[in-house]
Amino acid sequence: MNTGQLIVASRIGLLLGAFALASTLTGCATYSESFGSIERNLSAHQYDAALKDIEKQSGSKTDRVLYLLNKGMVLRMKRDFAGSNQMLEAAKAEMEKLYAASVSENTLSFIVNDATVSYAGDDYEQVLVHLYMAFNYLELGQPNDARVEALQVDIKLREIGEKISGDKFTEDALSRYLTGLVYEELGEWSDAMIAYRKAYEAYQKYSVNFGVPIPDMLKHDLLRLAQREGLTDEAAIYSKEFGIALAQEGSLAPEQEGELVFVLNNGLAPIKREKAAGLWVPPPTVAMNATRSQKQTMPVMVNIALPYYESRPNKVLSARVSVSGKQASTQMMENIDAIARASLDSHMPAITARSIARAVAKGVIQESVDRAGNRKNDPAVELIGSLFVRVAAIATERADTRSWLTLPANVQLARLSVPPGSYTVTVDLLGAGERVIASREYPGVVISKKHKTYLTQHWVAN
Amino acid sequence: MHQTLSKNSLAVLMALGLALAATGCSTSVKRMEASEVKDLSGAWNDTDSQQVSEEMIKDVLDRTWLGEFSRTQSRQPAVIVGEVSNLSHEHINVNTFVSDMERALINSDKVQFVASSTERQEIRGERKDQDLNASEASRKAMGQEKGADFMLKGTINTIIDASGNTQLRYYQVDLTLISLADNRKVWVGQKKIKKLVERSNLRF
Repeated sequence: MNTGQLIVASRIGLLLGAFALASTLTGCATYSESFGSIERNLSAHQYDAALKDIEKQSGSKTDRVLYLLNKGMVLRMKRDFAGSNQMLEAAKAEMEKLYAASVSENTLSFIVNDATVSYAGDDYEQVLVHLYMAFNYLELGQPNDARVEALQVDIKLREIGEKISGDKFTEDALSRYLTGLVYEELGEWSDAMIAYRKAYEAYQKYSVNFGVPIPDMLKHDLLRLAQREGLTDEAAIYSKEFGIALAQEGSLAPEQEGELVFVLNNGLAPIKREKAAGLWVPPPTVAMNATRSQKQTMPVMVNIALPYYESRPNKVLSARVSVSGKQASTQMMENIDAIARASLDSHMPAITARSIARAVAKGVIQESVDRAGNRKNDPAVELIGSLFVRVAAIATERADTRSWLTLPANVQLARLSVPPGSYTVTVDLLGAGERVIASREYPGVVISKKHKTYLTQHWVAN
Repeated sequence: MHQTLSKNSLAVLMALGLALAATGCSTSVKRMEASEVKDLSGAWNDTDSQQVSEEMIKDVLDRTWLGEFSRTQSRQPAVIVGEVSNLSHEHINVNTFVSDMERALINSDKVQFVASSTERQEIRGERKDQDLNASEASRKAMGQEKGADFMLKGTINTIIDASGNTQLRYYQVDLTLISLADNRKVWVGQKKIKKLVERSNLRF
């Protein structure tokens, strides 16, 4: 064996080692496949069991953000809002850390797959962390802390808006609307007005992009606040646009009632699945120089795996809230299912390009292993090496199916004003044709004068 | 031809890696003030809390209202801390900041402090309990509380300006001392902090 052969042989060893390591690193299941048992536990309201399942993912360094997000979400389903906020705050810090792209992870992703890069959360996920933290603080009765989250959402959305991209998600309407509610609760009327205006602009885009019409309650809020702030021209425009009569002078007196804000987190966000296609093609150098004569060349395996979204079935369409004889139906405020799909659509060209580049890189590696084997003139080594590198190329090519899976498919809201007191709130979940699918009672909900009491239910279909 | 190519690309990759390792890839924070302080994330931290409370207390004790009150009333003023509301974009623990101020003010021996309204409720409960259960000699009577002369109130505000990786954080803490007798503002203190936070695009 001459020195040239030694170098080649050691190179094969290196390549094989790299692939073996890569395949053990990524395992064989994609991220979303491990979510089945968590989903079953959630639909059975077995939150502790779900938390135990989530805890199994605590070791993964690249999926740490998702681990924290999922844990935070399940804790709030358990109504442990303080614990949930701790997790979500940690997730935020982790996201901030991942703002800088990792050189080593991205290099690895070029030869293995996209899932080797730490997941920092999609734009919409990074915004919704703040929304759910705000909901948590509101349910804990800390509107001042919810206000902090509202300000952070503003900074985040400005950052997203600065990026020039084909994304449809540049404003989060529900976050803006909730910001308005928080400001109004704290008596900061002009800030509330600005937030409602931004929510209105965002819902105009939502109705085009995600099929969410402008909620009626926002129309009333806009009109009421515009009149309160003495913006008579603006109020007149809203009145005409929404077909709502202007309130009479004097009827804007401070109300003595409190308000219940019911939030329905309906279902679960769509889940990413993988579609893969593999085919045998001539090795890259042969494909590029068709005229060059080659001695026997083995075809290389090209495998491309791409993610797609699959919605999760859910029969519940809306909810009806009843408090002491008063009723209100929930309205669609945020269609996370549609937002997630649009986001993946806008990322798809880049994901596809990366996958093709990777296929070429893996083809080059396969070919170079074949050549090294050829030079050694040992058919057994050649065959084993070539086969191994092909198996590794297929096994490592997996789609990145990571996303925040414990998010709801959509968020709905209902508001009811009631006199101060302690009430039992009844929530009926309605399916097609207003058929009641499930009911739940919340005893001891305290409504205080001129304040909003928040109540959330997360419904996971079984 | 193929092997030389891969050797070259390997060398380029390694050089790139080295260059990146040399430049350092963590978030860097530059404080805009002369005093050298080590910041980690750029968020409000203990240094800010200490700096602000120290400066505020120094200022409030130096002003004329204190001497004027002592002269006309011939006693130390009693102060109560009202709400310092956090209007910033960060979850700032206002309590540590308030207790920092409270401690420094009490220890200055120039003012007296009255328990806050939540503390008072607890103490009143205890007094009620004493009324039933404590001995005659040790019992404390109701209605003997010392009323405060001034209330300290304040806000913490922030303005954030961000572009790309650079963020300018401006904190403004305003504190007001209000006379409870006539709603007069006897002192207004203000402290500003400005930080430039630069986030890195790359990490190893």
